[in-house]
Amino acid sequence: MAQVFHPRSGLYAKLAMLAFAMLLAAAIFAWRSVTAEPESESEAVEQPVPFSHQHHVGEVGIDCRYCHAGVETDAFAGIPPVSTCMTCHSQLFTDQPPLAPLVESWRTGVPLRWNRVYDLPGFVYFDHSIHVAKGVGCVSCHGRVDRMPLMRRVAPLSMKWCLDCHRHPERFVRPREEAFAMDDREPGDDDALGMHLVDAYRIDRRRLTDCSVCHR
Amino acid sequence: MSSMSPANALRDALPPPGSPRFWRALDELAADPAGRGLLAAAWPSLAELEPALDRRGFLRLLGASLAFAGLAACSGPPPEHIVPQVGRNGRTVPHSARYATALATGDDVVGVVVTLRDGRPVKVDGNPRHPAALGGSDACMQAAVLDLWDPARSDALRRDGTPSSWAAFESEAAALRRQLGERGEGLRILSGTVVSPTLARQRDALLARYPAARWHVHDPARGRPADVWPDLSKARTIVTLDADPLGGFPGHVRHARDFAAMRGDMNAMPRLYAIEPSPSLTGRNADHAWPVAAGALPAIAAGLAAALGVHADVPNLDALARERIAMIADDLRTNAGASLVLAGPSQPPAVHDLVRAMNAVLGNEGTTVRNAPGHDTARPFGELLEDMRAGHVGTLVLLETNPVYTAPGFADAMRTVPRTVHLGRYRDETAEAAQWHLPALHPFETWSDLRTPDGVASIVQPVLAPLADARSAHDVLDLLTGAMTDDPVKRVRTTWPELDDDAWTTALRDGVVSRTPDAAGAAMAASGAEPGRDFLAAVAAPTGADALELVFRPDEYLWDGRHAGNAWLQELPRPVTSLTWGNAAWISPALAGQRHLRDGDMVRLAVGERHVEAPVLVVPGQADNSITVTFGYGRRCGIADGLGYDAYALRESDDTWHVPGVELTPLNRRATLACTQTHHDMGRRDIVRAGTPEHPPQGGGKTPVSLYPEAPAGEYRWGMSIDLNACIGCNACTIACQAENNIPVVGKDEVARGRRMHWIRVDRYHEGTATEPRTYHQPVPCMHCEHAPCEVVCPVEATVHDSEGLNLQVYNRCVGTRFCSNNCPYKVRRFNFLQYADLASESLKAMRNPEVTVRYRGVMEKCTYCVQRIERAHIDADREGRRIHTDEVTTACQDACPTRAIVFGDLGDTASEVAVAHRSPRRYVLLEELNTRPRTAYLGALRNPNPAWRDA
Repeated sequence: MAQVFHPRSGLYAKLAMLAFAMLLAAAIFAWRSVTAEPESESEAVEQPVPFSHQHHVGEVGIDCRYCHAGVETDAFAGIPPVSTCMTCHSQLFTDQPPLAPLVESWRTGVPLRWNRVYDLPGFVYFDHSIHVAKGVGCVSCHGRVDRMPLMRRVAPLSMKWCLDCHRHPERFVRPREEAFAMDDREPGDDDALGMHLVDAYRIDRRRLTDCSVCHR
Repeated sequence: MSSMSPANALRDALPPPGSPRFWRALDELAADPAGRGLLAAAWPSLAELEPALDRRGFLRLLGASLAFAGLAACSGPPPEHIVPQVGRNGRTVPHSARYATALATGDDVVGVVVTLRDGRPVKVDGNPRHPAALGGSDACMQAAVLDLWDPARSDALRRDGTPSSWAAFESEAAALRRQLGERGEGLRILSGTVVSPTLARQRDALLARYPAARWHVHDPARGRPADVWPDLSKARTIVTLDADPLGGFPGHVRHARDFAAMRGDMNAMPRLYAIEPSPSLTGRNADHAWPVAAGALPAIAAGLAAALGVHADVPNLDALARERIAMIADDLRTNAGASLVLAGPSQPPAVHDLVRAMNAVLGNEGTTVRNAPGHDTARPFGELLEDMRAGHVGTLVLLETNPVYTAPGFADAMRTVPRTVHLGRYRDETAEAAQWHLPALHPFETWSDLRTPDGVASIVQPVLAPLADARSAHDVLDLLTGAMTDDPVKRVRTTWPELDDDAWTTALRDGVVSRTPDAAGAAMAASGAEPGRDFLAAVAAPTGADALELVFRPDEYLWDGRHAGNAWLQELPRPVTSLTWGNAAWISPALAGQRHLRDGDMVRLAVGERHVEAPVLVVPGQADNSITVTFGYGRRCGIADGLGYDAYALRESDDTWHVPGVELTPLNRRATLACTQTHHDMGRRDIVRAGTPEHPPQGGGKTPVSLYPEAPAGEYRWGMSIDLNACIGCNACTIACQAENNIPVVGKDEVARGRRMHWIRVDRYHEGTATEPRTYHQPVPCMHCEHAPCEVVCPVEATVHDSEGLNLQVYNRCVGTRFCSNNCPYKVRRFNFLQYADLASESLKAMRNPEVTVRYRGVMEKCTYCVQRIERAHIDADREGRRIHTDEVTTACQDACPTRAIVFGDLGDTASEVAVAHRSPRRYVLLEELNTRPRTAYLGALRNPNPAWRDA
């Protein structure tokens, strides 16, 4: 009986299987790259005005709260109204081209449209004020903004990332007074202080991982 | 008598001995067990759905949805923007704010507080400082925020149906002023009841400016303007003659509060007799509801007056009526000075005179009832129609009224008028028929003022800039007189010269113009109703015993049809009928039996030349030979187009409230009624507990042991208590919840399938016979069981407990198996079968509560105890390093409840209101035998029936 398959059939079959595997990998790669978030982690985000935290925080030394005025009272830390920028920039660098959109906004009353860098899903209700009040520093989530010429995201914002802290708050909290400080403290540097702060700030560990704390 | 057996079955069937006393639907009472089939199913119309999809169709859809889901996933999340304020002139909008203002329906005025988030009104509540609200709400107030953001609002001026501009109308108005000259011949204004002092001032100025002009008032659903103001906080015996102080009466939010407070006092319980042709909300809460044909009601009133010693000829009454009248008269006399007889706005003047005389004899005047200064009465509407037909009207200005729909024959008469101008928020029937349609401002966008019939005034202040290029009635009147102003605040302040700047600011902040009460209003002015006059001559002769009569009623929520565009109100089950998205002709169980009619059977109702075709609804407690038709439906525009029938078509004039001699002809057709009375049925178990002061309702037993772990002990134990004794079944809680929690509407078809989304529903249970039932209302939110049956069956842990006892629903985990809903004995879970939430309309996005997720298709949802408010309180308290104060957290339903039946708080705090309520001997939990340990508890209802009362 003659051979049913030609000797080269085996090669073709293997090649076909290889091609299929490669196609599948390419498809997955393509899907991931298309559906990835608009701004990935550690990637600077374009803004209408190239605002530099490095200059304003690192070099000039403006406190976070000067612009993000709601951070201690509201869920939303707040992007400052143009009037806040104009306290200085009505005098300083008024003729610089990068500031033109700002001046234009002030003149016409049409607000600026900043691009969001930290974008949480709609079903997550994050509140800045309570985190600051419980001693979570700005740096913990936003990184060393005093070294960022353009704002970028330094945290994955995944639920696991949130829960790392909600499960072990003692590793991340710091004294309230230092919440706005820009420093390189590592999580868990001083667990004894952390434990003390969790008690002192009445952080109710029973609640921290309740779904209702973040989802409504 | 065999042909009468269905009638007898419905009329006389009493629950068999040993079964619970309470029933919900008449089918339950009928002997025929076939009629109960649908009631057994949790989703009553699943059976109808089955054949919709065969196996192949299902597979085809499944494949397609997989493919499309894959395609839809091929894009990342859209980039988001943050748009900060500009802050020029130092002006920034506060994150949240609350403003006091007022709203009116007909001559009912209530003070409200509007809550704004980032400058957008998202919630309306009663103003605690306003005496007609005291913080309570009704459904229409709660729904006002949807009216504001309604995408269907008219936003452009129209002339003969084509878009125009205000500039064009201003030049038209200038031409009109020249044409009107000195006298204003042929100018006619038509408005609803004038309840705004500023509008009244402008009206007087206009009539002074144009002496030949006429101002007419058309409020088709109001009836006689309120001229007395009852005070239910002092009344121990209350007799209502077709009056509805808890429902449609001006000031009903306040009256409900007073009544519930009285009923809550076990030692001084009031007794309420409601004598009416068709049940009202008051009748549904009465200790004795006595159905009497509208034609026979004046005779009963005369009989009662005679029994009290008012000189009135006693008509021929049957023995039972005489016995009951004697009983009621005894009760009234026992509580003389603390009793109240109240006649409804649809009653003829003769009955009002009798009632006035009765209250005088009983010494109630000045205590339980006082004169209301009322609103000015204007020239009758009928006169306008005659003038229009006779060609005397040159210019007709219609201010926020819709007579083309509400007055048959108006459209024809209107065509003969050379110039017609309509101001309104919607492009309704009158807008289409008028030459000029001017878009009107919502009350939240304008400066005005309002006054209740008993003289409490409020300033109406805008809470946001107008959303449409619209103007108010004040602006249009100014255009007519030529006294235009750029300063609408000044226009209102001119009406209130006595308010200096401080007093004005206080009035705006409080929502009430502080002023010493009108002395004339407090004391009962000497009326023409001194006892001793003979009234019977004015009383119509009762109609024949077997003749059918027609009774007209406003819809409980749509009123005369003005709220027909409001989908929340459309979908809110009516208090008496549980009907949504349509109206029906209410018939009595006896009539249904006689004519072999079932719910939804179409009939033709004819009065002389006029006739409509309407579905019938059998209403327990309806007078035997009365057929009630309700206004508000049969609209020809907007979302209500094609729903229900137009009851105005049967009506001769504005003051026709009942007609004897109506013909009813069955049509052998059926219509779908989206009635929720049998939905979410918990079976005939021990659901409602009720008793009397002598035999109070039984409280709950001991909690049995359980194998499940005890509930986690967090710092707070949230719980709720619902007092069935206080609940009047007004549904304000349902719609407050809808506004607070972004609950979508689903439409008529979906409601008919049992899929309405309300997180708190109000169930109605009847007790006794179908002819004269006693009714109990039971709001049912999620029970937040400590041993929740829903949690153990969820395969993805989308419903779990938190440490403070809340039963949570995590939307982003839910995959829509619906096991939880299946396993919930209370039937409080709601599933998004389709994409119910409207994600497309821009204006609705602005209306939604930003603190609550908008749910997608395929997700289960339910009452959360307003978790967003609890979290807000947690964050505020934690930030300040303190505990949450006692009773700091309130739920939306609790805030809205006019009678304070709902109480929420921390059960662990013994001083909290809810902990006090949970210690009441009347406390019980629903379906205790299942040992689910609900955090929501009920307090049994109390009624105070007259022991001598005999059922018909």
